[in-house]
Amino acid sequence: MRMGGFVSFMENRMMPIAGKMAEQKHLQAIRDGIILTLPLLIIGSLFLIIGFIPIPGYDEFMSGVFGEKWRTKLLYPVGATFDIMGLIVSFGVAYRLAEKYKVDPLSAGAISVASFLLATPYKVMFTPEGASAAQEIGGVIPVTLMGSQGLFVAMILAILSTEIYRKIIQMKIVISMPPGVPPAVSRSFVALIPAGAVLVVVWLIRILLENTSFESIHNIVKDLLVGPLSVVGSSLIGAIICVLLIHILWAVGLHGAAIVGGIMSPIWLTLMDQNRAAFQASPNGELPNVVTTQFFDMWIYAGGSGATLALVVLMVFMARSKQMKNIGRLSLGPGLFNINEPVIFGMPIVMNPLLIIPFVFTPVILVIISYFAMSLGWVAKPSGVAVPWTTPLFFSGYLATGGKVSGMVLQAVNFLISLAIYYPFFRLWDKQKVSEEKAGTASDTAVTM
Amino acid sequence: MNILLCCAAGMSTSLLVQKMEEAAREKGLDAKIWAVSADDVKNHIDQAAVLLLGPQVRYKLTEMKKEGASRGVPVDVISTVDYGTLNGKNVLEFALRLKQ
Repeated sequence: MRMGGFVSFMENRMMPIAGKMAEQKHLQAIRDGIILTLPLLIIGSLFLIIGFIPIPGYDEFMSGVFGEKWRTKLLYPVGATFDIMGLIVSFGVAYRLAEKYKVDPLSAGAISVASFLLATPYKVMFTPEGASAAQEIGGVIPVTLMGSQGLFVAMILAILSTEIYRKIIQMKIVISMPPGVPPAVSRSFVALIPAGAVLVVVWLIRILLENTSFESIHNIVKDLLVGPLSVVGSSLIGAIICVLLIHILWAVGLHGAAIVGGIMSPIWLTLMDQNRAAFQASPNGELPNVVTTQFFDMWIYAGGSGATLALVVLMVFMARSKQMKNIGRLSLGPGLFNINEPVIFGMPIVMNPLLIIPFVFTPVILVIISYFAMSLGWVAKPSGVAVPWTTPLFFSGYLATGGKVSGMVLQAVNFLISLAIYYPFFRLWDKQKVSEEKAGTASDTAVTM
Repeated sequence: MNILLCCAAGMSTSLLVQKMEEAAREKGLDAKIWAVSADDVKNHIDQAAVLLLGPQVRYKLTEMKKEGASRGVPVDVISTVDYGTLNGKNVLEFALRLKQ
């Protein structure tokens, strides 16, 4: 059977690769480190939403109650969350990586933050009122490089500094204190030589780069890494390939999003923050990116990977077989919050040659439709508001576009499209289950609730 | 009897936890059952008597078995059918069998 060949190919070839990728220490540390920023981004987003509620007269009302500067003040927390994303990631990635090497994570995090700042030029360009040319101001930490623009530098330096740190610790080139010295004190002495080594290395790199045309690590990373990666990550083809890969992994029962997300999430997060900055500057203006973290969570994965909410609704309302009806009922609650393991493993969709077809192709088609709807300007692009992926349909589309109804409309359209694609496959499977149940062979697989 | 479950984010396994707790109550079994994300397992495994993985993170089995082996905690993957149908009774029995 062809399906058997595909399954054994996935089991023998893809599983080990997926496993290796998901277990790779640095990728894991990046993924776990970035998670540290998410609660902050979600809270920042709440303030962003309140700042730009699209109701006529809202601005005037708020100015009347709280004064002219209400929005600037309301958006303070947005600055304190989105604008320090890189700084938090710098700490988080180093902390998680050190944990995996079983060396003191707190010291690793602190050293990483210091090396991130050491790589950052403490100057900004500023145009004073009345002046015609921008002036260079020294002695300040540039906020732009602390946010998503500094994300990749933060990740690279976190890994570099933690690698140096743990190597030196593991080679035992440390100052050890005599017994009787409190552990906290001796720990800080242990970190002394490794921290010195890390900072000297980063310092030398910075001095060297200052003499090249790049001037700073930030510029090198921007030109050589972030630029090309963003082009790939923000393109339609890039999005289709990622979605295909995620769903083929899911089709054999592996958590595709967790595996692919380790690589793609820094890129999608950077694209998301570019939109956030543009949205904050002008909420009704043109936003730069369609493909962001929210693009997938809000418009492609209704009900979870595979856009299975439509399938679950079919099962609840149209199934004739007991099994489909039961699994549908069981899956509806979690499905509304975009959790769908019951339907993926319970139908099952996994390793099921019939249902894998709509499971893989529905999201790909939704990516294409949503991409064009947004880039042609029919539907608002995601505004960079970080809506949690568990937010139910329609709320999520409204919030993620910064309060635009078109976001909900596209979700409704996408839902109907998924219904149409799943319907014939669902019917066939349901029919098969009905005849199994009639023949009495389904007793083993029937759900007991 | 402490049973630890894990999946990618600890969300879908937490659905199963409820069902397993019901099954344990029916059996009159005193069990603590909880779910965490796969990355969080190392902070919880010391309190667990047995660790079960959701089938979607079964690529982590080798890594988890290593974690479990050093502490004498048996580790295995939940069957996809029991997982998909949230069959708390079967998974509970599977956990009890593993511990023996």
